[in-house]
Amino acid sequence: MEPRRSIGRLAGATVDPEQPAIVVDQVTETFRLFHERPSGLKERLYRFRRASFTDFNALEDVSFTVEHGESVAVIGPNGSGKSTLLKLLARILPPDEGTVLTNGRVASLLELGAGFHGDLTGRENIRLNGAILGLSGAEIAERFDEIVEFAGVEHLLDTAVRTYSSGLEVRLGFAVAVTVDPDILLVDEVLAVGDAEFQERSLERMRRFRDEGKTFVLVSHDLDAVRDMCDRAIVLDRGRVVFDGPVVEGVELYRQRVASSAAPRVDRRRGPRQVAIDDVQLLGSDGELVSDVARSSNLVLRVRLRALTEVEVCSVGAVVSRGDGTHLYELHTTWQGVGVGPLQVDQEAVVEIRFTAHLLAGHYAIACSVTDASGRDTWAVVAEAARFAVQPAPGGAGLVDLSASAVVTDGPARRTGDGKAGPIPLPRLQRRQARG
Amino acid sequence: MSQPSGVDDALVPGAPRRATRAVSTKLVELWRARELLAQLVRKELKVRYRNSALGFLWSMLTPVLMTAVFSVVFTQIVRIPVDDFPAFFISGYLVWQFLQNSCQGAIHSIVGNGELIKKVYFPREVLPLSHVFSQLIHLLLALLVLSPYLIYSRGVGVLIHLPTTLLAIALLTVFTSGIAMWFAGVNVVFRDLQELFVVIFQVWFYATPVIYPLALVTAQMGERFAWVAQLIAINPATWFVELARLGLYGSVRATGEELAPLIDGPPAWPSVTATLIAAGWAVLMLLVGYVVFLRRARTFAKEV
Repeated sequence: MEPRRSIGRLAGATVDPEQPAIVVDQVTETFRLFHERPSGLKERLYRFRRASFTDFNALEDVSFTVEHGESVAVIGPNGSGKSTLLKLLARILPPDEGTVLTNGRVASLLELGAGFHGDLTGRENIRLNGAILGLSGAEIAERFDEIVEFAGVEHLLDTAVRTYSSGLEVRLGFAVAVTVDPDILLVDEVLAVGDAEFQERSLERMRRFRDEGKTFVLVSHDLDAVRDMCDRAIVLDRGRVVFDGPVVEGVELYRQRVASSAAPRVDRRRGPRQVAIDDVQLLGSDGELVSDVARSSNLVLRVRLRALTEVEVCSVGAVVSRGDGTHLYELHTTWQGVGVGPLQVDQEAVVEIRFTAHLLAGHYAIACSVTDASGRDTWAVVAEAARFAVQPAPGGAGLVDLSASAVVTDGPARRTGDGKAGPIPLPRLQRRQARG
Repeated sequence: MSQPSGVDDALVPGAPRRATRAVSTKLVELWRARELLAQLVRKELKVRYRNSALGFLWSMLTPVLMTAVFSVVFTQIVRIPVDDFPAFFISGYLVWQFLQNSCQGAIHSIVGNGELIKKVYFPREVLPLSHVFSQLIHLLLALLVLSPYLIYSRGVGVLIHLPTTLLAIALLTVFTSGIAMWFAGVNVVFRDLQELFVVIFQVWFYATPVIYPLALVTAQMGERFAWVAQLIAINPATWFVELARLGLYGSVRATGEELAPLIDGPPAWPSVTATLIAAGWAVLMLLVGYVVFLRRARTFAKEV
């Protein structure tokens, strides 16, 4: 790929194929939330050193690299920093810490029709919007017909945009934006606008863009569109990257996270402290403390608790989750008809939860809680009571050990080794955690 | 981290050097954004004139009315002893209006375009500059319309000394660009600057020899009020108004006589000293305004 004629000259750069398209290195972006924004000279003088604010990290230590031609989806719940990340890539915001490098011309579809002026006609707004996006006069003229045709506004060209419907305005904005023809396209949640036909055309245009080998970063909550459009997913949560890998896995992980956060959480309601958890131990089948285990090991979670007041009955709960927070298993002793109690003040009790960790290689954490019998009031909770890692072993990959076995039932079969052919690829996530 | 944003930048060591580097790369970027600047200027003019030739004439109403009012007041009620007072006044007032209107438009340009700034990247300075340049076009059009009157009352010298006028306007544009960027950038942090704006410009207007000739102040302020004359001489706007008036109206000098204290000459070429002072102010203001603006511009997207 040779450097091409610079079209959108605002971003200015030509493409250097040797370098990645996007490098985000240890980026932290902090927003200062003023409790009462001192926004004037008077206030500033008056409360010079007393401005009260909270610093809030929209992004925390985010690093990733995007190669040319990759199509990346950034997904995560609201407020997880997706839009901030796009703004950093689009250079709208400078990073507070770390560096953001983009290689090639960047165009962003963060807001369609931003900069449209109601008093100007469609024709004039196309010129203005094109210029805002970095096109020169000649380039706008060159693309003018294409824009008009794509947006379908021929008959309204000389009408003030003020009279356009909002859908029409967005169409015009999109039409201008996609003709900028960048090397890196940033799209923020625009698939949801316009009628069905226009949506299909927009998707088509983006697919074409992707298939031309351009780099593509999409922020969306539409997980089906994400899976359709992108090869790779970056999942953000509260400003941190919790997953970076194939889009199918990323979307699945995000779905699970949404599901688990929707489920009642052990620490949601905290009642008065009636019980203290003194000690939690994770033991192997031999009764020794363990932290590294083989897959499908038999484990014992031993919880020692102490009553702080007189307790009629209580329930001990354990939640097993993957290192990134994915909810894997939850058990409360009362679900199995086992309660602890009655307990006198300072009386101790030990509860053992025996389980088989049908898990494959990865890092896992166990949270412990003591609740009332109904599980409604939480009396004590230890968020990361125990941690364990399952060692990689041959014979299957993924998250859960389904103990599968393979047999050739028809046709010739052949042994290909001793069954230990190569290590199981660790999901990227675990590699990331092992590093950190 | 604990300091309020906006006042601590200057305290960071190495900031000036960073700013210089930022300025040079930003200039390249600004040049690349010239199409955007042109479109924004066109937008300003269009919205202002509302797509009609009459729209331009409407916008001429203010200076013409002001000239009429000030002419009545300062020739009939309080006499300012200059010939052709309307020509004298309008030659300074157009220049002043350019400065004031540019700043007035620019001061809202960042805050008023907050949505755009949060959504799209482009060199932010095009926003205040678009106001300066649309006002510049307006000024040139206004001069064109008024030139027959000026030539009629002040002679062909107005045409011959056009370079003086153009030089004055060019330098003033540079100066105004700087101060417009300064106002636009600072207004993001100190929102009540725009409330102060009217007062600032009212005071500035009377501190600038628009209604009265500079020579009159120097001649009539006694020992006790010498500082007033000094203050007016320090005011940078004085030099641009004087320079433009030299080309459009002519020179005004003090005679030292009681009955006819002033004598005015035809349009003339400017002195080297006056030109250098005006050029110095222009360059200084542009540098200060641009650097302040660029330093603020990094975080506009968070603050607007």
